[in-house]
Amino acid sequence: MSYLFASALLFALGVYGVLTRRTAILVFLSIELMLNAANLSLIGFARAHGLDGQVAALMVIAIAAAEVAVGLGLIVAIFRHRESTAVDDLSELRG
Amino acid sequence: MALLTTILLPLVGFALLGLFGKRMREPLPGVIASALVLASFLLGVGLLLQGGARYEAAWLPGISFSLLLDSLSGFMLLIVTGVGFLIHVYAIGYMAGDPGYSRFFAYFNFFIAMMLTLVLADSYPVMFIGWEGVGLASFLLIGFWYQNAQYADSARKAFIVNRIGDLGFLLGMAILWALYGTLSISELKEALEGPLKNPSLLALAGLFLFLGAVGKSAQVPLMVWLPDAMAGPTPVSALIHAATMVTAGVYLIARSSFLYSALPEVSYTIAVIGLLTAFYGALSAFGQTDIKKIVAYSTISQLGYMFLAAGVGAYWVALFHVFTHAFFKALLFLASGSVIHALGGEQDVRRMGGLWKHLPQTRWHGLIGALALGGLPLLSGFWSKDAILAATLTYPFGGVGFYVGALLVAVLTAMYAMRWFVLVFLGEERGHHHPHEASPVMLWPNHLLALGSVLAGYLALPHPLPNVLEPFLKPALAEVEAHHLSLGAEWGLIALSALVALLGLWLGFTFFQRKTLPAWYLAFERASRESFYVDQVYNALLVNPLKALAEALLQGDFGLLRGYFGLGGVVRGLGQSVTRLQAGYLRVYALLFVLGVLVLLGVMRW
Repeated sequence: MSYLFASALLFALGVYGVLTRRTAILVFLSIELMLNAANLSLIGFARAHGLDGQVAALMVIAIAAAEVAVGLGLIVAIFRHRESTAVDDLSELRG
Repeated sequence: MALLTTILLPLVGFALLGLFGKRMREPLPGVIASALVLASFLLGVGLLLQGGARYEAAWLPGISFSLLLDSLSGFMLLIVTGVGFLIHVYAIGYMAGDPGYSRFFAYFNFFIAMMLTLVLADSYPVMFIGWEGVGLASFLLIGFWYQNAQYADSARKAFIVNRIGDLGFLLGMAILWALYGTLSISELKEALEGPLKNPSLLALAGLFLFLGAVGKSAQVPLMVWLPDAMAGPTPVSALIHAATMVTAGVYLIARSSFLYSALPEVSYTIAVIGLLTAFYGALSAFGQTDIKKIVAYSTISQLGYMFLAAGVGAYWVALFHVFTHAFFKALLFLASGSVIHALGGEQDVRRMGGLWKHLPQTRWHGLIGALALGGLPLLSGFWSKDAILAATLTYPFGGVGFYVGALLVAVLTAMYAMRWFVLVFLGEERGHHHPHEASPVMLWPNHLLALGSVLAGYLALPHPLPNVLEPFLKPALAEVEAHHLSLGAEWGLIALSALVALLGLWLGFTFFQRKTLPAWYLAFERASRESFYVDQVYNALLVNPLKALAEALLQGDFGLLRGYFGLGGVVRGLGQSVTRLQAGYLRVYALLFVLGVLVLLGVMRW
């Protein structure tokens, strides 16, 4: 039960981070926080219901890694272009 | 086909000058336009010598496009193209240097083409094409200097007043179609022989057609457009007033004489309206100060004479007056144009005077025109006016009242004709100009018109002198039995009208050279200057209420539009507030997403 609480806390922190941070990198980190919160709850459930949850957690980690690769690439490209990673500056798609 | 060509020639000129006129050097458009009208004239003469012509082509179902050249339409064709040609030539000089030079001649040719369509038509719908075309041409030409708002207003006024008459023409055609199932004039003429089928309805048709004529020929009560129609260049006034447009009404009555000769009451109405118009025009001419407006009111008055003649049944006499009037009225207008030209655009007779010694040629044109208009014995105007006077007594729909009225108008005519001449040419110089005589291209048409003004009357001299015109025109007109006066009585009347004309001329000549005019005359002149307030009455009774109604409707329209705009505005506002959400701010999207999830979770929980 306490795992779930920790997970919820972590997720809420992640959401807060996504909503308040201006820098794309930190938004990214906050998303990772949320993913990890999900992983934590999955592993917590695995304790009670079998190993399926651990498999799902591994999947999440793999996907998150791929996502970070793509996302960081994008962020680097945008930074080169605009010299900024503030998400509010990216309200328009035109470059 | 040759008959159609007479119309096509000026029409080709219209197209040619309209499309390429701008690229031609100055006198060329005028020369082309004049030459085409002359060609049309010569072709018409040729066809007339062959004994007339006919052209027919399939057109609308039940209505053929038929043209007919008989003595009546041939006579008109010669007036339109003959006098029209002289006015064209004059305009070459008058319009020199105008930026719209080629446009002017394009319109001029269009005018002639439409007038020929009107005149040659053998069915009312074809005549109506010309009728409307002439209306359009007059609109374009009266408003030729369209940058002057007042001129443009005059053009619109002429156009709108004419529409009223045209409605009459249309209704008349509709009734004739309903009664006889044909609008061909030749067929209607045959159908109307023998007893009439529905006399009262036919009379209504006659009245409606007459309403059309009233509009086109500026008779009371639709005369208000003609004085304003002199807003355009002077050759336009000459063309409209002398040879073409305004005579269309008289021509319509003459062409429909088979109808009117069977309708005594309608004919009587025509005669009364004609006499009224003659009086009104003559009285209004006295107070005018614009050199062309005096002549314009004289046109109204002379047209009244023509309608009087047509009304009493003397159709050929009406056309005789059309003929002589075409010469002296064109002469008067073109002489006025030369004067205006000489004074650099001055049109106010109060700033003229004393031009006798400055304009050695134009002065004779003015004198001959004024004397012919005033009816000096042996000039053309005298013969035709006298024929009208005699006709009021001898023709079946006439009467002594008409005779006396027409005689009074003759006195007035002689007086205001002299007033025009005296104010322009005699007395002291009242302006500060350096008048110069017109160029030969403007003088020569006037020489010929002056010759016509003197000689045109000798086509139809009173009994027992030779009368060429009556037997020439008679076959195309309805038979109306006129009783003949005895020789003594007839020549007595001629002597009387000659005396009256001389009296009027002398009165006018001496009266208007006086230094001070009596008070009663000045009071009359003030009323006359405003044309007896007819325009004001029309404005108060018709124009302003209609304007107010139109504006009220416009406001209502605006109100409706505002309502729709309001409704649209609300929806647009809603839409715009929603678009704010799509600003592209990532964190706003994320926030909304989170809120949405929370709401969803809440809903599921609940």
